[in-house]
Amino acid sequence: MGLLSIIRKIKRKEKEMRVLMVGLDNSGKTTIVLKINGEDTSVISPTLGFNIKTITYQKYTLNIWDVGGQKTIRSYWRNYFEQTDGLVWVVDSSDLRRLDDCKMELDNLLKEERLSGASLLILANKQDIKGALTPEEIAKVLNLEAMDRTRHWKIVGCSAYTGEGLLEGFDWLVQDIASRIYVLD
Amino acid sequence: MEIENEDALPTSNQALDPDLQKKHLSMLERLSNRHQSRLENSLALRSDSNSSSSSSSSAFLSRFSDSKRSIESQIAQSRLNHPTELSKLRSHLDNISASISDLEKLVAESSYFLPSYEVRSSLKTVSDLKQALEILNSELIPRKKFSFKNKASKKDPITEPTETTLEVSNSVSISHERLSLPVRDSPGFKNKKGEILVKDFKGSELGEFTLLDLDSCEVRLIGSVRALFMHKLRNCSVYAGPVTGSILIEEAEDCVFVMASHQIRIHNVKMSDLYLRVRSRPIIEDCNGVRFAPYCLSYEGVEEDLRDASLDEETGNWANVDDFRWLRAVQSPNWSVLLENERAEMVNIANLGGGTEGN
Repeated sequence: MGLLSIIRKIKRKEKEMRVLMVGLDNSGKTTIVLKINGEDTSVISPTLGFNIKTITYQKYTLNIWDVGGQKTIRSYWRNYFEQTDGLVWVVDSSDLRRLDDCKMELDNLLKEERLSGASLLILANKQDIKGALTPEEIAKVLNLEAMDRTRHWKIVGCSAYTGEGLLEGFDWLVQDIASRIYVLD
Repeated sequence: MEIENEDALPTSNQALDPDLQKKHLSMLERLSNRHQSRLENSLALRSDSNSSSSSSSSAFLSRFSDSKRSIESQIAQSRLNHPTELSKLRSHLDNISASISDLEKLVAESSYFLPSYEVRSSLKTVSDLKQALEILNSELIPRKKFSFKNKASKKDPITEPTETTLEVSNSVSISHERLSLPVRDSPGFKNKKGEILVKDFKGSELGEFTLLDLDSCEVRLIGSVRALFMHKLRNCSVYAGPVTGSILIEEAEDCVFVMASHQIRIHNVKMSDLYLRVRSRPIIEDCNGVRFAPYCLSYEGVEEDLRDASLDEETGNWANVDDFRWLRAVQSPNWSVLLENERAEMVNIANLGGGTEGN
C-alpha cells in the first residue's frame, strides 16, 4: 500500500459523517430520509428494525441510520450510538398528547455518554398539519434551553410531506459536524 | 538544493576556513527564505476567503496562544470576582464557553496546514480549557443535588385520575418532570359516554383530530383529515373516511374500527375488529385478540374522498400486519384475519340515524 492510498483513505474517512435518526414512532423519520434522498414517500410502512441510507450531501457522505421508534424497539437504539457525529431527533408536532413521552425519551437519550459529542438537530416535523405546535413551542415543551451548555443543538420546523425545512436543518447539521471534525488519528 | 545542503552540513562541524563557513551560512539563510516563501505561496493558493488572517503556522500559533491566555485569565478572574446575579453569571460563563468554541474552530480551520504535533497539542489545550471552565462552572453554579422526595405518599385523588397505570410502566426515569407548558387542546371528541358523535371534515380546515376517553360511543367521521389520534376507547365503533397521513390508536378494548389511511399504528388494543384500507403495512404492538378485515365504509362521496387521498386502490395490506411483539416467522397469536362469514356488511354511515355534531 502506497502513501497515496493511505492519504486517500484518510481523506475519504474525513468526509464521512454518521447521522443517527431517532424519535417516537409516527414522527416521520423514514419519510424525512426518503424525502431528502428524493425517493417516493407515498408508501412507507412503520420501520421494523432500521434502514441505512448513504447520501452525498454537499461534499460530504452522510451515513444516515434511521432506527424504528416503536416502544418495543426503542431499547435497541443504544446499539447504534457508537461513533455518531450527528443526532437527529424527530418530533411529531401534531401529536400533542405524547409530547410528554417525547421529552422523556429525549432526556434519556441525552444522558448517554456515547452521544455527548454529537451535534443535535431537532426536527419539529409535520408543520404542514394545521394545529401543529410551532418549533418555538416544541422547544419550550422539551425545555431545550436547559440542555448542557457544551451541546451544539438547533431546532428547525419542517414538513417531510412538502420537504420544507429539511435542507435548512441538514445544512446546519452538516456544517456543525464539519467544523468539529478534522483528521486526528 | 537539498543535496547541496546535506553535503555542506558535515563540513560545518569541522571549522574550516571562515570564508567557506560564511558562504555556507548565507546559503542556509537563502534556503530557509525560499522555503518560507514557497510555504506562503502554497498557502495563498490553497486558502479560501476566510483564512486571510491565519496564513501560516506561526501566525496561527501566536493567535492561538493569545486567545488561550485571554481565556485563562478570564477563568482565573471569574473565580475571584464574578457577577452575583445568576443570570448574569450564566451569560458570563457562556461567553467564556463561546470563546473556547471559537478557539476550537480556529484549530479545525487551521488543521490542514498545521503539523500534526501542533494540532494535537492545540486540541489538548482546548480540552484543558474546557475542563477548567467545567470546574469553574460547578464551583460557581452548584448543580441541584439529586434526592428522593417523599412525594408519592401524598396521594391526591383529584388531580391524578386514571393515568396512574400508564405512569407506572413509564417511570424508568425518576426525574421525569411534568410538562410545564399548558399544551393547547387539539380538536376532537373527548370524555363521552353512550353518544353518537358525528363530524364532517368537508369544508373544515382541521389538520388533526383526536378521540379521547370514549365509552360506548359511535363515532362517524366523514370526509378526510390529515392525522387521527385515538386514545382510551371502550366498547366503541369508529367509522372514518380517509386519513391522508397516519392513524395512531393507543388503548382500546371491545371496539370496531372502520378506517382508511396511509399508515396505521395500533398499540394496546384488545378484543377489537379492524376493517382497514392501508397503503403500507399496519402494525400492532402489545395487542391481543385483534382481527382484521378489508375496509367497508360508504357515505355519499366516499369514493371521491378515497381517490383524492390515493386510497382508492385495495392493496390487500389490511392482512399484512406486523406485530412488534412477535418478531418471528410464524403467525402471531395476537391477531388474525376475520373470517368472511363473520365480517360486517358494508356500513353506510349516511343512513344511520342522526347524532351530535362535534367541534
